[in-house]
Amino acid sequence: MKLFNKDDSMAVLDGKKRFNLDKALTITTFILLLIIVIIPVFMIIFNTFFVKATTGHWAFDVSMFKTQLSEPKNLSAMWNTVKIAILTTIVGTIAGVFYAWLLGRSDIPAKGLMKALFNIPYMFPPFLGAMAWDMLLNGRGGYFNKFLMRVFQLESAPININSIWGIVFVEVSYYFPFVFMQVVAALEKMDPTLEECARIAGAKQSTVIWRITLPLTKPAISAGALLILTTSLAHFGVPSIIGYSQGIYTLPTRIYAVIYNAGGSFEGIRQGASLSVLLVAVVSLALIIQNKILSSGSFDIIKGKSTRPTLIKLRGAKYPLLVICIVTLIIIVVVPLVMIVLVSFLKAYGLPLKLENFTFAQYKRVFKGGGTIDSIKNSLFASITAGVVCMLLGTLVAYVVQKIKPKNKGALEFMSMLPYAIPGTVLSIGVILAWQGAVFGINLYNTIWIIIVAYLARYLSFSMKTSSAALLQVSSSLEEAARACGASHTESLADITLPLIRPAMVSGFFLIFLPAMREVTTSILLYGPKTRTLGVQIYGLRDAGMIPQAAALATVAIGIIIVLNTLVNYIVKDRKGV
Amino acid sequence: MAEVKFEHITASYGKKTILKDFSLTVNSNEILCLVGPSGCGKTTLVRCLLGLMKPETGTITVGDRVLFDAKKKINIPAEKRNIGIVFQDYAVWPHMTVLENVSYPLKKRHIPKDEIRSRAMKALELVHMESYANHLPMQLSGGQQQRVAIARALVVDSEILVMDEPITNLDAKLREEMLLEIRMVQSRLKSTVLYITHDQQSALQLCDKMAIMELDGSLCQYGNDEDIILSPTNRFTFEFIGVSNMIPVSLQKDRICLDCGVSDSLDVEIPEGLDFSKPVEMGVRMNDVVFDNNSSIKAKVTSKVFLGSEYDYFLQLGNKEIRVQQSMLDAKLNGVPENGAMIGIRFVNPRFYPAKEVSSEAI
Repeated sequence: MKLFNKDDSMAVLDGKKRFNLDKALTITTFILLLIIVIIPVFMIIFNTFFVKATTGHWAFDVSMFKTQLSEPKNLSAMWNTVKIAILTTIVGTIAGVFYAWLLGRSDIPAKGLMKALFNIPYMFPPFLGAMAWDMLLNGRGGYFNKFLMRVFQLESAPININSIWGIVFVEVSYYFPFVFMQVVAALEKMDPTLEECARIAGAKQSTVIWRITLPLTKPAISAGALLILTTSLAHFGVPSIIGYSQGIYTLPTRIYAVIYNAGGSFEGIRQGASLSVLLVAVVSLALIIQNKILSSGSFDIIKGKSTRPTLIKLRGAKYPLLVICIVTLIIIVVVPLVMIVLVSFLKAYGLPLKLENFTFAQYKRVFKGGGTIDSIKNSLFASITAGVVCMLLGTLVAYVVQKIKPKNKGALEFMSMLPYAIPGTVLSIGVILAWQGAVFGINLYNTIWIIIVAYLARYLSFSMKTSSAALLQVSSSLEEAARACGASHTESLADITLPLIRPAMVSGFFLIFLPAMREVTTSILLYGPKTRTLGVQIYGLRDAGMIPQAAALATVAIGIIIVLNTLVNYIVKDRKGV
Repeated sequence: MAEVKFEHITASYGKKTILKDFSLTVNSNEILCLVGPSGCGKTTLVRCLLGLMKPETGTITVGDRVLFDAKKKINIPAEKRNIGIVFQDYAVWPHMTVLENVSYPLKKRHIPKDEIRSRAMKALELVHMESYANHLPMQLSGGQQQRVAIARALVVDSEILVMDEPITNLDAKLREEMLLEIRMVQSRLKSTVLYITHDQQSALQLCDKMAIMELDGSLCQYGNDEDIILSPTNRFTFEFIGVSNMIPVSLQKDRICLDCGVSDSLDVEIPEGLDFSKPVEMGVRMNDVVFDNNSSIKAKVTSKVFLGSEYDYFLQLGNKEIRVQQSMLDAKLNGVPENGAMIGIRFVNPRFYPAKEVSSEAI
């Protein structure tokens, strides 16, 4: 049977009649990244340094930037931001590595359970943690402070969470899992022969840990540390809740204050934009320094054959270390959770935590207005939309970068990873500047879509990374084999590549959906009267002094997160067989 | 079926030219083994044939079908070339069952469903995998996955079958089996096979014709396997095919003499066209060194290994260590020399090549 005759083969001329899928995908990716990422970033820089003169022309103007830079409040905010971020990164990294090693490599009991529990702080919204700690250790009448003062007959509160160290403590509690999870994964996949060889060569156990295990996990450690650093630099919730009462500002909270005080006027947004440039400068500097300190190639420590790594015997230290782990979990997970739930039942904030002061009224009150229901709906809608779009777009970018490899793929990769280094607060301002009609003639301000656009820019790199990793696993010969078997390029994509990376796409979706569901950093600057998100609603209730109501809604939010997360784990586990 | 013709192919990745004006013909119904060291451009040639890469110049034809012609701007897309391919890493799709994998090429050709099933099963029978039809690839061993890949390549009766290092990842025994099977399948289907490998041993077992590629991507010899083994055209082919000893020699009083600490003269004619003012080396295969106590050339046995059907020796000849193979027959007839013994040796069928220039970087 002859399948192809001479004539139809001659008819196909190269590059002329054939629609080139690769080119189309590459161009689409460029345009989308330009709109979603580059234009907001450009708008910030442009609006900081250019001003529309009365003649209608745009004129270069550094006065705004200079004014902001010479403002002492801004300088101290910058200093605070840097201090908090560096301290959080150092402490968080040490804690992350310590617990990762303990749970990944030692013979500590109940390891599986402990590993699962140590992932909880990752899901816990940091600003809810900050709320809880503020309730407990507020310098003026936190519940735990009051308790200590009563017991030890103290004049003043012994612990004041409303300080730089307080902020660092709360941030470390919720950010150390970044390092923990990366390092645990690296340790589990590490080829144990690497360590065994060192032992056989005569190295002591401690030498092996220092000279072999740690250096080999350095890429994982530095990746996690970088995540802590950039997240902390950009973080709004914790410093805002804990630092506000003491006048401790960081750049993100300062940007919020400036814009909030200006009542949304363009001048305020411009001020915010120039502060953003400052924040971006700080973040970039941090990234460069981090790169210098932790620069390291990636090692091929992961081998296809998986063998159980040898576990190190802790002997006498076993149970004391177990106790340390449990106490850590209690402090960072159980205590804040219990506190929030307890306060949510209080008739009024400040009343002693006794049964006669408890009521369900706060929950009724929270849901009565309808604003709460709307905020949950808004958050669900924005997160799901952003999750789906990011998943598709991220996969598209990953495919172009990993498989099509156009000449300028470096630029593409840079464009998609840029938001990773740009704080959510800054991105929000860029999105405001770009989407209030200035660039596209489309005004999204005060609609849910502006929040979604900001989520897209902020979370795109997440899904791109997961899809990228999955695509790297798909050998190009799989697609090529399909081509040779008679599948067109589009068919080989649909039949082979997409089914193979589908699980990664699904987990990429949840990687965006879950943080977007609980975030406050981005939406606090973008929400309109009808587009409050769940995070904004809680923040607003607390800001208005309705702390028990805020706690009630926070309890609901945590409930939602737990349910969703369980669902995710169930789904992801189910698909592992693919 | 059809012959495959590459003519004047030039192909490069970016600025690096891999193939330059490369021409090669695979005769109809024959197995051509293309042998060359890793990185010489074998896979690039396959990718050009499959349409996964576009050469800059030249033509590729299969029978009377033009697949690629740079001048006439013909470049048939990969999916329309109708070439069966077995990749080195199998490329069996992990999310499809064995049967789905093998059915895929038929599905893409819009063949009726029941016919797809019967043809796919027939292809699986050909490689003895019919009982695994509903398995997923990850439940199979490497060799079984390989068979699935071969079945998938065979299922559409392609005019040509390309195999790119298909058995490199298998263990020795399975490799042998697969080679026999490929041979049998080929003779049954009368297909034209282009078999790519860097392993000359399997090439010898399988091929009708052999082509040797040099590291710079040029074709250095093409012919029957006997020709290539017995009369290699240049030093590259000689050294690439089989283990060989390279012993420095020099010209003294119009005779070729050893030049490695000992300087016995050799009883050979001086080859023409070789410049003895530059260093020259003599190449001898390890089974072309014969123990002969009447020979004046003496070497010392340093160690020996028994390999089942032959002995492998390491001999010290002057300051040069050479390797010698002695067949069991010879060992039975003439005895096995002890370690440390001085024995006479004779070189059969020696060849002379200019010595490799030692680059200053290597020192």
